[in-house]
Amino acid sequence: MPISDMPIFSMLRTKMLWHQERQRLLAENVANADTPKFTPRDLVPLNLDQTRAPQGSVTLVRTNPGHIGDSPGGGPPGFRLDRKLDFESRPSGNAVGLEDEMLKVASNAMDYQAATALYTRGLALIKTALGRG
Amino acid sequence: MDFLKTIAIAASGLRAQSGRMRVLSENIANADSTAPRPDADPFRRRIPTFSTSFDRALDARVVALGKIKTDSSQFRVKYEPGHPSADANGNVKYPNVNPLIEMSDMRDAQRSYEANVNVIGVTRRMIQRTLDILKA
Repeated sequence: MPISDMPIFSMLRTKMLWHQERQRLLAENVANADTPKFTPRDLVPLNLDQTRAPQGSVTLVRTNPGHIGDSPGGGPPGFRLDRKLDFESRPSGNAVGLEDEMLKVASNAMDYQAATALYTRGLALIKTALGRG
Repeated sequence: MDFLKTIAIAASGLRAQSGRMRVLSENIANADSTAPRPDADPFRRRIPTFSTSFDRALDARVVALGKIKTDSSQFRVKYEPGHPSADANGNVKYPNVNPLIEMSDMRDAQRSYEANVNVIGVTRRMIQRTLDILKA
């Protein structure tokens, strides 16, 4: 069994992918902070219960792409775009608030760092179990 | 790797903002450029625009400097009969550039530029954290 299939590592991997995708969207928002009629985008908060791939657990079979749990088209794979984002538009039609975006970028990086730290800890735990810690 | 795409998106923002600063500095530099002849127009203020385009390779909405338009507002007119560009009434047309507006626009561009630099810095740190897993 590969390390990335262990529940804690696969969860952390999903979390890291989510932060990576979010960072890309935030970079788009910041780059277009002066483009007229641009509206910022963000992802809905990560819910591991929905995104975690069912492994060995009992789940309902998805026979139709419209079933709950499948990622709808348009958004990045596996993560959904937040459609209920509230923002204020400036007279030019641009709705990016640089301060908000910078806060999001900072918190995204901090959460990502937490995930990588946990990943490192998990690896150290395995090493301890092997008697090489 | 997606983080490199993130950096490329932020870099498109840097390019667009520095292009905007180039146009603004042209305006400021030419704020007093009068016409060479009495019947010609002096320097006309230029306005940078931005446009969003979808980059297929990056799979993202990047920004680029759009068409640079000219400001159609009135020129400033000063009464200077001895000026080589003065017309029959002694009036000289000066460019429709207000340095105060250009400077505040420059500040705005600087702020957006710094925000993009900040995104690149944060993303670099995130890549560094990922590589740190290997060192554990």
